[in-house]
Amino acid sequence: MAARSDRTARAIQAGLLACLLPGAGHFWLRQRGIGLVFFAAISLPYWGGAAIGGVKENINPVANRWLFIAELPVLSYTLIGMAASRSLPTVPPTQYSPYVSYYPESDVAQIFLATAGLLNVLAILDAIARAQTDGKPVFEHELAAGEAARHEGGT
Amino acid sequence: MIAARVLAWIPFLHPLDLPDGARLWMFLPLAACIALVYRATRARRVSDLPRATVVTFINLVVGMWLIAIAAYVVHEAVLRLT
Repeated sequence: MAARSDRTARAIQAGLLACLLPGAGHFWLRQRGIGLVFFAAISLPYWGGAAIGGVKENINPVANRWLFIAELPVLSYTLIGMAASRSLPTVPPTQYSPYVSYYPESDVAQIFLATAGLLNVLAILDAIARAQTDGKPVFEHELAAGEAARHEGGT
Repeated sequence: MIAARVLAWIPFLHPLDLPDGARLWMFLPLAACIALVYRATRARRVSDLPRATVVTFINLVVGMWLIAIAAYVVHEAVLRLT
């Protein structure tokens, strides 16, 4: 019983850390190499998208609500981006703003940012799964389930 | 003029000016990141990653090419038949 609650606590901690910073959950689970891979492969498209489109309209819960929701799984980056976005002056839509991106930069930035956020959902789920299975990846469960099904079919 | 624009550019606050035609090429780094994250969720250790990531990356790029060609063919067919 105690071991089970320990695993649940580990899974919650790993999931929260992975949400806070990409790869942090894996790093905490002592899977440092995989953690660094997640960190690089999620941070690159996130900050690449933010650099291409600027933060003003692309990390902004008012200007682009659905994009912001997709970015939220990378919590720390999104909070930093939102703070930077709020510090910039808002210009009426009829006037040119040096902080607002237009086609095609805006499209590319949105795709990069949304993809990075959704990729971190995969990383969070993977950290939770590995916390519950002593670091084994998801397909280990599939292998075990397949093996069990074969045994049941054979008997 | 270009130097002045570069010096005035503050990363993350000012948007970048993407060169014409760069939009399609931006798919490649994104596909590489997607392949890497997907393969990382299925890896026992980091040394398993490079080969599997390259295979997934090629699958993604070729798959997107085929989808683009199919969409182009359908578009042309609709234009000719209507």
